[in-house]
Amino acid sequence: MKRLNKLMPLLGGLTVASLLLAACAPAATPAPTAVPPTVAAPTTVPATTAPTAAATVEIKIAFYAPLTGGAASLGTEQLAFARQAVADFNKNMTGFHVTMVEEDTDITPDKAVPVCTKDAGDNTIVGVVGPSGSGQVAACSKILDGAGLAHISGSATRPSLSQAGDKTFFRVVPNDNVQGPTDGNYIADVLKAKKVFVIDDKEDYGTNLADTVEKTIKAKGVTTQRQGVDATLADFSSLATTIKGFGPDLVFFAGQIASQGASLAKAMKDQGLSVPVFGGDGFFSQKDYIDGAGGATEGSYASVFFPDLRSLPAAADVAKEMDTAFPAWGPFGAPSYVATTLLLDAAVTASQGGKLDRPSVAAALAKTDVKVFGIEFKFDANGEPQGLNDGIFIIKGGKFVGAPTS
Amino acid sequence: MAQFLSQAPQQIVNGLTLGSVYALIALGYSMVYGILQLLNFAHGDVYMVGAFIGFGVLTVFLPDAGPLLPAALVILLMLVAAMIGCGFLGVAIEWFAYRPLRNAPRIAPLISALGMSILLQNSVQLTLTAQFRVYHTEKLIPISAGVDLGPAHLSLVRVLVIGSAIVMMVGLAYLVNRTRLGRAMRAVALDREAAAMMGVNVDQVIVLTFFIGSALAGGSGVLTGLVFGRIWHTMGFNAGLKGFTAAVIGGIGNIPGAMLGGLLIGLLEAFATGFISSTYSDVIVFVVLILFLLVRPRGLLGATGAQKV
Repeated sequence: MKRLNKLMPLLGGLTVASLLLAACAPAATPAPTAVPPTVAAPTTVPATTAPTAAATVEIKIAFYAPLTGGAASLGTEQLAFARQAVADFNKNMTGFHVTMVEEDTDITPDKAVPVCTKDAGDNTIVGVVGPSGSGQVAACSKILDGAGLAHISGSATRPSLSQAGDKTFFRVVPNDNVQGPTDGNYIADVLKAKKVFVIDDKEDYGTNLADTVEKTIKAKGVTTQRQGVDATLADFSSLATTIKGFGPDLVFFAGQIASQGASLAKAMKDQGLSVPVFGGDGFFSQKDYIDGAGGATEGSYASVFFPDLRSLPAAADVAKEMDTAFPAWGPFGAPSYVATTLLLDAAVTASQGGKLDRPSVAAALAKTDVKVFGIEFKFDANGEPQGLNDGIFIIKGGKFVGAPTS
Repeated sequence: MAQFLSQAPQQIVNGLTLGSVYALIALGYSMVYGILQLLNFAHGDVYMVGAFIGFGVLTVFLPDAGPLLPAALVILLMLVAAMIGCGFLGVAIEWFAYRPLRNAPRIAPLISALGMSILLQNSVQLTLTAQFRVYHTEKLIPISAGVDLGPAHLSLVRVLVIGSAIVMMVGLAYLVNRTRLGRAMRAVALDREAAAMMGVNVDQVIVLTFFIGSALAGGSGVLTGLVFGRIWHTMGFNAGLKGFTAAVIGGIGNIPGAMLGGLLIGLLEAFATGFISSTYSDVIVFVVLILFLLVRPRGLLGATGAQKV
């Protein structure tokens, strides 16, 4: 999703700025988006004031993802996982009942901002799962933070998001600065590559990823050679010849266009060079990276921000449910299950603490220490998940499977 | 040096393949310029449409189960369909975007050409989405098929691409130099008014020039898809610029020059990628264009005589 968001920081910044200006202009009237959190939650019944033991505490949360538009395949997968988390919660937690408002933000900040503004003003909502893309987080975070509304993203990876000073922002996936060292360590320690050819896409995300990977593997004594390619490059054969001349054990391609990874693999195979290609999140595409390569990427890798759910024993039940609920599920939706579960867990903690309102939910979320799918989730002071790494996948038999970790 | 010697043969193969594609694009630029002194900047997008027509034919005749016809026949059908489709597209562009401006100042058709380019790109995006499409050439011709020439591997797909380009270029040379139509084209290029006075149907020659030039671009689009595998709606922009560069370097308006320019640009790009860096290969190609425009604007084989004013 991050690859769709290159223009978003700018647009998002403008949108937020204009909203803030609009909000600030009439000084006499209160800003419409900044609802004081203290008057929160008229419909929620705090557990302590429940008249009878049998009364159920109602929790209302919102969910944001691109449910239409170009990224809808990813957003609907996230939705399926979030729904599953709600269903599991409602089934297992007696005394609580959750309703989730499902909102479509598309993949643009301008669709996300009205949604965030609306929900910021709806005091019955105590927390938000999402937004999905970094651009929508950048556009919405100030609005949600101003309303004290905790928001926890399952896919926004831009490193700067957690540095904006929004205390209600959380995410359950590692940011892009974590991915480089993870990939680099895997290449050097597990694959034991000695020579790696590194390619970047001359864009922010790719250059940053290629830089960190190169730095990590060089520190471990790996020899590297580096080149950059344009998004418009169609003919990879000359580059393949250079790569063949260098004789690497592996090619790290920090690109975002999966079909370029497939083209490179094909061009190398055409010249009789069979070494794996290792790519970032953008390459995690069955259609473009595997099917489009006609077998040339067999044995190649892609790193994604969450481990393969099928490889986690504690996730077996959810994986089974998802096979019927969303048969095409991949690695993209699972973090939304985690995000939803953590938010609901914080709501329960807040309710048990006597007050189910926005500040208590946000405070409880910041203190999260919960295991989901057997993985421990904790946040640092900026809402970044602690101790998480990207998952690495290998292509075997024309499918992505979790890569062996040793 | 050892590295250069061991990789140069493969880069020559790579460069000739890429150069064949560029040469076919450059021909269309050059022919239209020769006759109308018009830079048809929609030409790169005609090439893109050709790639998509070929993709359509490939999709119909190559279901997941395997090809419905022998591979050679499928490829021939793709080429023929793309060439005819693009030929008519070129004629339509001429009629719609250039003919009404034929006597307008020269900047007007240039702007019209840019508009046509944007129209074509957006039409393809709206109808076929912005997704990358993949030619599954490996289902027609195995990736590993080919011959080893010393340190270089010449795959069958590349033989097909270079061979097809040669056939098209020889056909064009025959048409221009040996037929009545070719003589009419040369006459119009030399002096449109005099040719008209001698009884040449100038409009017909212009239409046919657009048809042939666009057909070559369409064929080039299919060859690109077959050898490089990946097509998308803005692919024509960069390829069109390279074709234009090739036409200028060869001497715009000159048919053998466009062929030579295309091959040289292909080789230059391959060697720049191979021995300098892919990061800078486009920079190098366009620096060469600037150098030519400064030092030898008429190109390698351009007319030596005085320019018509």
